[in-house]
Amino acid sequence: MAQPLVKKDDDRDDEADYSPFMGIEKGAVLQEARVFNDPQLDPRRCSQVITKLLYLLNQGETFTKVEATEVFFAVTKLFQSKDIGLRRMVYVMIKELSPSADEVIIVTSSLMKDMTSKTDMYRANAIRVLCRITDGTLLTQIERYLKQAIVDKNPVVASAALVSGIHLLQTNPEIVKRWSNEVQEAVQSRAALVQFHALALLHQIRQNDRLAVNKLVSSLTKGSVRSPLAQCLLIRYTSQVIRESANTQAGDRPFYDFLEGCLRHKAEMVIFEAARAITELNGVTSRELTPAITVLQLFLSSSKPVLRFAAVRTLNKVAMTHPMAVTNCNIDMESLISDQNRSIATLAITTLLKTGNESSVDRLMKQITNFMSDIADEFKIVVVDAIRSLCLKFPLKHRSLMNFLSNILREEGGFEYKKAIVDSIVILIRDIPEAKESGLLHLCEFIEDCEFTYLSTQILHFLGIEGPKTSDPNKYIRYIYNRVHLENATVRAAAVSTLAKFGAMVDTLKPRIFVLLRRCLFDNDDEVRDRATLYLNTLGGDGTVVQTGDDVKEFLFGSLDIPLVNLENSLKNYEPSEESFDINSVPREVKTQPLAEKKAPGKKPTGLGAPPAGPPSTVDAYDKLLSSIPEFANFGKLFKSSAPVELTEAETEYAVNVVKHIFDGHVVFQYNCTNTIPEQLLENVIVIVDASEAEEFSEVASKPLRSLPYDSPGQTFVAFEKPEGIPAVGKFSNMLRFIVKEVDPSTGEAEDDGVEDEYQLEELEVVAADYMLKVGVSNFRNAWESMDADCERVDEYGLGPRESLAEAVNAVIDLLGMQPCEGTEVVPNNSRSHTCLLSGVYIGNVKVLVRLQFGLDGPKDVAMKLAVRSEDEAVSDAIHEIVASG
Amino acid sequence: MILAVLFANSEGNILVERFNGVPAEERLHWRSFLVKLGAENLKGVKNEELLVASHKSVYIVYTVLGDVSVYVVGKDEYDELALAEVIFVITSAVKDVCGKLPTERLFLDKYGRICLTLDEIIWTGYLENTDKDRIRRLVRLKPPTEF
Repeated sequence: MAQPLVKKDDDRDDEADYSPFMGIEKGAVLQEARVFNDPQLDPRRCSQVITKLLYLLNQGETFTKVEATEVFFAVTKLFQSKDIGLRRMVYVMIKELSPSADEVIIVTSSLMKDMTSKTDMYRANAIRVLCRITDGTLLTQIERYLKQAIVDKNPVVASAALVSGIHLLQTNPEIVKRWSNEVQEAVQSRAALVQFHALALLHQIRQNDRLAVNKLVSSLTKGSVRSPLAQCLLIRYTSQVIRESANTQAGDRPFYDFLEGCLRHKAEMVIFEAARAITELNGVTSRELTPAITVLQLFLSSSKPVLRFAAVRTLNKVAMTHPMAVTNCNIDMESLISDQNRSIATLAITTLLKTGNESSVDRLMKQITNFMSDIADEFKIVVVDAIRSLCLKFPLKHRSLMNFLSNILREEGGFEYKKAIVDSIVILIRDIPEAKESGLLHLCEFIEDCEFTYLSTQILHFLGIEGPKTSDPNKYIRYIYNRVHLENATVRAAAVSTLAKFGAMVDTLKPRIFVLLRRCLFDNDDEVRDRATLYLNTLGGDGTVVQTGDDVKEFLFGSLDIPLVNLENSLKNYEPSEESFDINSVPREVKTQPLAEKKAPGKKPTGLGAPPAGPPSTVDAYDKLLSSIPEFANFGKLFKSSAPVELTEAETEYAVNVVKHIFDGHVVFQYNCTNTIPEQLLENVIVIVDASEAEEFSEVASKPLRSLPYDSPGQTFVAFEKPEGIPAVGKFSNMLRFIVKEVDPSTGEAEDDGVEDEYQLEELEVVAADYMLKVGVSNFRNAWESMDADCERVDEYGLGPRESLAEAVNAVIDLLGMQPCEGTEVVPNNSRSHTCLLSGVYIGNVKVLVRLQFGLDGPKDVAMKLAVRSEDEAVSDAIHEIVASG
Repeated sequence: MILAVLFANSEGNILVERFNGVPAEERLHWRSFLVKLGAENLKGVKNEELLVASHKSVYIVYTVLGDVSVYVVGKDEYDELALAEVIFVITSAVKDVCGKLPTERLFLDKYGRICLTLDEIIWTGYLENTDKDRIRRLVRLKPPTEF
């Protein structure tokens, strides 16, 4: 950057240091503006004052309404002066002050006069000012002049009117749309800029008329557009037409030749715009892509940073969908890692990480290491995310990638950056078993010197889960116990819990863990002491080393299967009395957010935020709940519980959703009800189910809800018998029946007498997917090949016209209710074919794997090949039946 | 839309800031973001060498011109290449007004004329004129030569 102001020699001393605006003050300048009212105007002085006013405004200074009005009225006086320089300043000043509608009237006549002046430049400027300050009524008065101006011979006047039109279109579209003919004429102008402005305006006027835009593009792509800027606009409009045209048959793409021709334009701006347009074409083929990639590759080594940036940004996007197309550019891209412009370097690295192959990983990592030290955290996070994806793609490279992550973990960085690294290490530990031990040790080393309490506690929790399962849990104890000495109370308490987990899980470590825990009994924080006491007493720290019972482990480290918010509310409402608090009295249903199933299926774990043993298994929670109800106790093992299905609209008097519990020979509907009316108490709440459209089901039991007070959710159940092991389907209509009692809001007491009432709920369906458990496999190919090929069933289906390939893929996944594997549920943009791998467990505990191959047949029709392998050929057939009838 | 044009001196003080379509409450954020960007990256950069960055869907092209740094911010059709064109017009017109690379003092001396020049180049968010000779004439209310 240039030198700051320095004294050079005595002569220039004053001049260099003196700023014409030094000590400028708004009040003083407003005083000075009174010179505008002088009968003998001094144009030079007036211009100086206007400059000062502009300086203030350009510094972000604002004028009050009164101040602005005063200056505005004074400025209007300056129209009397014939001085050209001053007049030009006046135009700017009026635009800056943007006077209100009632003030504009003062200046309108002067501006109208200028607009019809013989001096072109007065006309152009008056148009710009008038259009800035005008409203609808005034606009109709001057419309005639504006239309003339659009086709004015002077390009400055025409441009002024056209650009004004672009702005006015936002506020007065119906008026500007009437200028179509003139604008159309201006598009043919010989002046490059007029053509550019006219094209922009014409497109905006017609943007909702597809046919008109199509015509505009057709005629202009044949003719010659003079300005590169206008040519860029034309390319954009052309891509829009291509996108919207239904005809996507290969080799027949309209306007592709035009785009390809623009790649040979002399202006770089046009070449780039065309290249980008080609890369963004729907379902672009490699043949279409090649010339565009070639020019982008040339731009990568351009001396102009803007071109390099534009090229690498576009290639980065292409790499997401067509990584192979970009590999040719890898060498040029590698040289950009040392680019002085960090945005370019980061884009280059993340592109390389997407396109690189296994053999280039080590070389790439070496280059990135040098680069990481001098970029900002936000760029580093992008790189860390890309490295995590790369490691999941090439698990064999986990050693070097994990080392890289641990090295950057040791360097300086803010919380978000460190969290991104820790999350990445955790995900790699989970997904790559070989990386587990080294990953855990890296995390241990990190907490030795970690300044973030949150990260330390999360890592300690994670160590407690994973550490005891390793071959040598002993080696982690030192790191954990160090925390008890060196950290704040929150981290110390977490460390005590982690130590206890090791003690509970690894019997050989138990005596030594007890020694350490006993030392924690003297900690100066009560939470740390309390935890140590609890663990010592429950794990048998009285000297006898016994195997810790499962019930104790469950009590200490098991998941809490009741929602914390409900527990908190119940504890708040608990009044100390003889009767101790009963945890079983806490409602298990969350009010608005259903239990953990709300999480998107197949969503990737997000690092420490969602530790594997963290959220309770909902099936376990439901299993416990149902087996505690005598009517359902003999139904056997719960196979699956569905996500809650809403049976009422949002914000109705009673909110009801239902969870479908599938057993081998039974189905139980759990209706979660909430009463949202404070003045009502509901009693004997039950759902009357009509199963006439579900022939194979017969009702065997129901369990009403005794009482449903305001805002305290409760459950009622209805159970059906169905043929054993058969995936019976059907439709059920539901009616909520209850006795409603009025509640006195002041006392909260309900009246003795109530009235029976009913409330219609939505219908509910049991579908084939309810009999399928989402269970993933880590390596689909191995799993597929290890299954008997005799039980494979293959068939083809036509799915008819679909919105998109992705929509068809999701529909089949939903229909089958299976777990997508290896990220195959994501369909890349523009794909014309896709393979999706699914895995699940069918009722009767039969493992099922599905390979779906989708292809677009014509513009919208989707065809699908379905291959199923399972442990039972009858199940393979059943899956085909589900698809055939779905 | 060209969202902002900003000039700052070597210490990061604002000389000119003009926003289009940016809510008042976001302007301060943009100002400090741009000045920080310049402070981190403009050291040692040659005059008029362009630097580029993107922030969400917004592009920023910036450079040094004598003692002042210039930033332009745009979105949609004003992507990095269009902004490079805009900043080229701005820097050549400013050099034209100042007669050479501007010192801070020279820039402030020519402040009024620079405001008029910017007014000719950008019309509330749209590029209006691109030729420095024409801009020089328009600022003096003289018709373009080619006409």
